[in-house]
Amino acid sequence: MTHSQPDPRRRRLWLGLAFCSPVIVGLCIFTLYPVLASLGYSFTRYSVMRPPQWIGAANYQHLLRDELFFKSLANTAYYAALAVPLGIVVALGLAFLLNLKVRGQALYRTFFFVPTIVPLVASSVLWIWLFNPQNGAINALLRPVLSAWGLEPPGWFASPDWSKPAIVLWSLWGVGGSMVIFLAALQDVPAELYEAAQVDGARTWHRIRHITLPFISPQILFVLIMGLIGAFQFFTPAYVMTGGTGGPVDSTLFYSLYLFNVAFADFKMGYACALAWILFLLILCCTALIFKTSARHVYYAGEERG
Amino acid sequence: MRISLPRAMTLCLPLCLVLVHGCARDVTEVGGRKVVRVWHVWGGTMAEGFTRICDEYQRQHPEILLRPVFAANDLATNQKFFTAVAAHKPPEVIFVDGPQVAPWAEWGALSPLTELCQEAGIGRDDYFDPCWRQTVYRDQVWALTFCADPNFGFVWSKQAFAEAGLDPERPPQTIEELDRYADLLTRHEGSEIVRIGLIPWSQYGAANSMFTWGWAFGGDFYDYDKDLVTADDPGVVRALEWMASYADKYGADKVAGLERGFGAAEQNPFITGKVAMMCLHIGGIADLARYAPDLDYGVTFIPAPPDGEQRSSWVGGWCMGLPAAAANRREAWEFVRWLCADDEGTALVGEQTGLFPGYKASPYLEKVRHKKHYDKFLRILQECRHQRPVMPIQARYMRELGRAVDAAVYAETTPKSAVAKSALDKARRATQDELDIILGDRGGTP
Repeated sequence: MTHSQPDPRRRRLWLGLAFCSPVIVGLCIFTLYPVLASLGYSFTRYSVMRPPQWIGAANYQHLLRDELFFKSLANTAYYAALAVPLGIVVALGLAFLLNLKVRGQALYRTFFFVPTIVPLVASSVLWIWLFNPQNGAINALLRPVLSAWGLEPPGWFASPDWSKPAIVLWSLWGVGGSMVIFLAALQDVPAELYEAAQVDGARTWHRIRHITLPFISPQILFVLIMGLIGAFQFFTPAYVMTGGTGGPVDSTLFYSLYLFNVAFADFKMGYACALAWILFLLILCCTALIFKTSARHVYYAGEERG
Repeated sequence: MRISLPRAMTLCLPLCLVLVHGCARDVTEVGGRKVVRVWHVWGGTMAEGFTRICDEYQRQHPEILLRPVFAANDLATNQKFFTAVAAHKPPEVIFVDGPQVAPWAEWGALSPLTELCQEAGIGRDDYFDPCWRQTVYRDQVWALTFCADPNFGFVWSKQAFAEAGLDPERPPQTIEELDRYADLLTRHEGSEIVRIGLIPWSQYGAANSMFTWGWAFGGDFYDYDKDLVTADDPGVVRALEWMASYADKYGADKVAGLERGFGAAEQNPFITGKVAMMCLHIGGIADLARYAPDLDYGVTFIPAPPDGEQRSSWVGGWCMGLPAAAANRREAWEFVRWLCADDEGTALVGEQTGLFPGYKASPYLEKVRHKKHYDKFLRILQECRHQRPVMPIQARYMRELGRAVDAAVYAETTPKSAVAKSALDKARRATQDELDIILGDRGGTP
């Protein structure tokens, strides 16, 4: 009498899938379905409480005539173009400093990282006060310096010209995360290369330029891409600092904030879904572009080079 | 013991279903008592008052179970409410802001109360005109006015008037006088403004300011016969030109800088003396009494130009409605009726919250006839002619008006008033385009 044994490999596969099933089911229900549904809704007029109504590509056509869409896109591009590079430079600078062998090194590292773990809303509220044009700490420091030249401190969030720069400055508050990544990368740069370069007479700048930067270039790429994605999705501080208005004069109406208002103040879910898909495509294109153009500048130690 | 895989999964499935179902479980009856859940908007001292009102109703109606739940009427909480409606699990009673009634009705979040009103004999004549109008949309009644806020009382600080050499007992009557007084009351220290006479665009937000002055200047915002947005009405344009003239005079950034230092409660700029004249919401009287009992101020009608609308005001305030597909409709309606259209209920609302009922026969209104400051607000309410436009995209309209005010106040041109007309025209077009889509969808069906 022979038993037909099930194929053990097949059984393992099923068992594996069963153990993964919470994640698979969760992803399908809570990620895959909403993503696909949002694509479908982007071709409808939908207010949540009534069934969606198919309107073809009308939402996408409307985008081209929507002044606020372009305005919010421009604001977001401004923020991304300034905040992301500035964030990388500052994080890198801090990482270099904190990599120096000095007393209290761990303390300094903690000190610079702490702001990153402050909740976004709390830090936004804090910075509203720091940026207060009349009573804020920043202008209190600037006023005596600027008045020497007969200048007045900026109005920050009270002025359409200064509100975006203020938010860019605020963004530096969160460089702790990138700083830690750079710090870890810096410690991986082989010390013997520095020694060899020193023997060959390379100065500090040359050592940074030809050894350090190439070695940490994958991390810079990573921070750049994550920063860019974050910048495109920038929302919380703008929402908190302007009370959701994006004011003054729409100067802080970032893409996600506009999308949020369209979705949850006007309940135009179809249009909001179209906005979300355009954002997704933009991020996708930017990321692809960076990957493509960065290949020449990024050095991977394990990679064969021709 | 080994459990086979199919068996394990068959066991898990019902468990999951039970858990998921539990998320949407709602109890509409407990021990034979019908549950009436009320999502209300009252926090702070108002919450205490509202709780006492609910306690009294519960005492009189032991056959139901009243469950007041705080649910701020903001974007986040409204999502929760709309999701609940979409899932057919809404609360039994919902508080809805006056201008939200029409949009919520349009979206299908409310159920009409027309028949219930007819049965109870409640009609147009029972309410101050604007209070009733704001609850009627497409020939149906969708809510009842819970409180009627006469917007606004114009208040002036008598101390600041005396300091500036003005007669503390004589508030400005015309816009010309208002401008002159504002100049005298504004004080600078160095290049900074430390006290300003008035900030025309800062009366409870830019859009509400636009409504306030727009009507006072004789303008109007909506043509109900033709369903047309009239944001560029000549009166409204004149009002915005006048508002922008203050930005020319005092500097938009400077004023915004001063405003950034404003706070709530005891940091209210009228209390701290940073603003000498402003529009005051009726709830502000209690705040002033609580945080600055010695503050000497007067309340009067909003000044208006000679060719504008004298003694102008509009009504704001909360309404109560029954969400679409809500349970226990009868019990819920009875609670709404008691609070909004009943002598005893409306009197209790007035006493506990200090707000005016929109119900004209409420005994509370007789009580405040001789109460300091409230008497003025009562007169403003009695003469009130306007409510914000009853139309399906109110939030959008208000945002566009706010945008127009911003554009004029922060304009780079000199004078800033030069952009008022184009800014309002832009607001009109943006709002009308959106409105036409909704009206077009409806295609003549009621």
